[in-house]
Amino acid sequence: MSSDSSSTSGDEFTNPNPNPNSTSKPLEDQFASAALTEPDNEPPEIQESPNGVVNGSVSENNHGEIERNERGGAVGSNLEARQSVRWRRTNSEVEVEAPSSPSSSGYAGERGSSSGSGSSGGFEMIGGGIGGDDDEIQEVSNVDSIQDSQASWMPGKRHVDEDDASLSWRKRKKHFFILSNSGKPIYSRYGDEHKLAGFSATLQAIISFVENGGDRVKLVRAGNHQVVFLVKGPIYLVCISCTEEPYESLRGQLELIYGQMLLILTKSVNRCFEKNPKFDMTPLLGGTDVVFSSLIHSFSWNPATFLHAYTCLPLAYATRQAAGAILQDVADSGVLFAILMCKHKVISLVGAQKASLHPDDMLLLANFVMSSESFRTSESFSPICLPRYNPMAFLYAYVHYLDVDTYLMLLTTSSDAFYHLKDCRIRIEMVLLKSNVLSEVQRSMLDGGMHVEDLPTDPLPRSGTLSPHLGQPRDSPESFREPFVGIGGPAGLWHFMYRSIFLDQYVSSEFSPPINSPRKQKRLYRAYQNLYASMHDKGIGPHKTQFRRDENYVLLCWVTQDFELYAAFDPLADKAVAIKTCNRVCQWVKDVENEIFLLGASPFSW
Amino acid sequence: MGCSSSLPDRSSGQLAGLNSENGGVSDAKNLRVKLVLLGDSGVGKSCIVLRFVRGQFDPTSKVTVGASFLSQTIALQDSTTVKFEIWDTAGQERYAALAPLYYRGAAVAVVVYDITSPESFAKAQYWVKELQKHGSPDIVMALVGNKADLNEKREVPVQDGIDYAEKNGMFFIETSAKTADNINQLFEEIAKRLPRPASS
Repeated sequence: MSSDSSSTSGDEFTNPNPNPNSTSKPLEDQFASAALTEPDNEPPEIQESPNGVVNGSVSENNHGEIERNERGGAVGSNLEARQSVRWRRTNSEVEVEAPSSPSSSGYAGERGSSSGSGSSGGFEMIGGGIGGDDDEIQEVSNVDSIQDSQASWMPGKRHVDEDDASLSWRKRKKHFFILSNSGKPIYSRYGDEHKLAGFSATLQAIISFVENGGDRVKLVRAGNHQVVFLVKGPIYLVCISCTEEPYESLRGQLELIYGQMLLILTKSVNRCFEKNPKFDMTPLLGGTDVVFSSLIHSFSWNPATFLHAYTCLPLAYATRQAAGAILQDVADSGVLFAILMCKHKVISLVGAQKASLHPDDMLLLANFVMSSESFRTSESFSPICLPRYNPMAFLYAYVHYLDVDTYLMLLTTSSDAFYHLKDCRIRIEMVLLKSNVLSEVQRSMLDGGMHVEDLPTDPLPRSGTLSPHLGQPRDSPESFREPFVGIGGPAGLWHFMYRSIFLDQYVSSEFSPPINSPRKQKRLYRAYQNLYASMHDKGIGPHKTQFRRDENYVLLCWVTQDFELYAAFDPLADKAVAIKTCNRVCQWVKDVENEIFLLGASPFSW
Repeated sequence: MGCSSSLPDRSSGQLAGLNSENGGVSDAKNLRVKLVLLGDSGVGKSCIVLRFVRGQFDPTSKVTVGASFLSQTIALQDSTTVKFEIWDTAGQERYAALAPLYYRGAAVAVVVYDITSPESFAKAQYWVKELQKHGSPDIVMALVGNKADLNEKREVPVQDGIDYAEKNGMFFIETSAKTADNINQLFEEIAKRLPRPASS
């Protein structure tokens, strides 16, 4: 197999790798033997395990064992609890995840049952008796799953009238809590913090009970619910969720919530607890509900929250260079970071010498700015902390919107720098207007980035002109879109995400039919999230390739030392063709990397 | 990914402080003054500024983060102009420690409370004391009772405001950013009270 492939002209196996020294093999190679273990043309509907995962742990010589590892994305320490996890499919929030174990209940049965058979068991506490009945979380129903979608999402806290006695509160699919180690509530996604004092105290009791035993509680499973704990000094964070997201994902979300809190207050808030363990932190976070609710909302649409990478607005190379040059100019005049963004996408960013900005900090900063309406009204100067840069200290952020979606952030360590930053902004704005960067940004917002329909059909030998460049009129006659209208791209390709490991950046294709409703997008998002978690599983991973077919998609993941590719296909897509298509996607990304990534002088690669 | 910090101070000569407005030349006819708004969160500081600067009123509450900067120039009857450079500070507790950053060097401080909220009146008194201790000695201070349109919900009597302002040598006015009542008067009155530079 592999000799066959290596003898081909190289057209099909052009290594899309940005790093010429890398030895990653084309995807076909990696799957070559995996394909052998699976009967060709196996009709998906008779697969015993629709979520059968092929883990190709391909070793250097490509003769590594291919094991057919049947497992779902669920990651947890207490495996035995899985027995009680019932697989349900409600017609509301459609979860993508496969059952956490290929249980005997069978594929068809899972599908058909609408009887909400999940057990609504109370928590099975370690050391029992702490929880009590108050903790019981009821079966989840369809309440407001629709309004959870991005399109209809409204900023701000909802359901403040609820507390843990309300049925509606108990039915919420995903709760987030921040509390202090004395059990005082600090933040709750739903309901009024003050009314949740009793509930908070219970969570605190669970955590400290386990800690007193010299242990640490990470995860509790109770029926369909997972309770995930994260302890950060005097701050406790808890997620109670029945969305069946992997433990690692939920934990990552708690980490981000903690980071968001640090961005607002810095870690020096810990000192307040040293002075007074009963310190009430809620007033300090006054008015920041929108910041947290918007972050939590992004856990259901923004891949940056689990990829730990940022994404750029597609722009012509020269346009991004022009923006970068003027930002570099101000960075040289004493600005620590100069960041120009359009919504959550980066136009350009520059850091002072040796200063590096972590993608998570960028995510949290952008979320903070975009969710705080007051930044849109006028230019602002605000203390913020970048937790990955220095969790103890405030930086000062000058923030100004250049148009409705485009904003400039200038970060400095000097609290007196406002007028200087204001002057910088005036200079930057002038240059951006003169060089048409802002109008190009508007245009890119309208055109979007990579559309799967535009995937070049033939990976012809490297000649950039043949790849459709972004920003070209997309309805030109040679466009390949026509035949695929409504069914995605070639070979049933519906969507992809490509993360460049060197650049800390990712690019994802625009959503095209059939992934066109917010609900379908969220479902795909969750599927990627699961795929990511299973690829990076510390217990049995990391893996290099994964091919997964279920009733919703064919999902293909390919991880090399340079990039990670996640692709979703029609569930009936042919495996060999899907693999080929992934190689073409990688080639395409390589061909247009100038436009979709921020290259060169990267503050991340010093 | 390091946390090495690169201090921007290497060119600190270029860094202008919040107080040293570049090119801030005030002459007798064209004054340029730094004004800071202080007060509890939700009393309507931003609404007052936006009414004054843009003539707008937005009833949806937008919590100010850090401080917003706006400027507005008014012409007085004696043909002088006054350009207000306004720091609209956030009322949240977490920003209280940073207030000196904004009021340091300010020629005018406008301390705002909500006439329906005694707590905000108490907070206003806190700010007045703070300014007396740490503000510039010749600062012009105004005490503003906002939300005057909500007279039926009033909890702070007008007389309390007048008395407190008088005791502390402040100028007092009640305003409504919603109806625009007394907003321009507030700033005109401030302008009249500004110490004029000696004309040469």
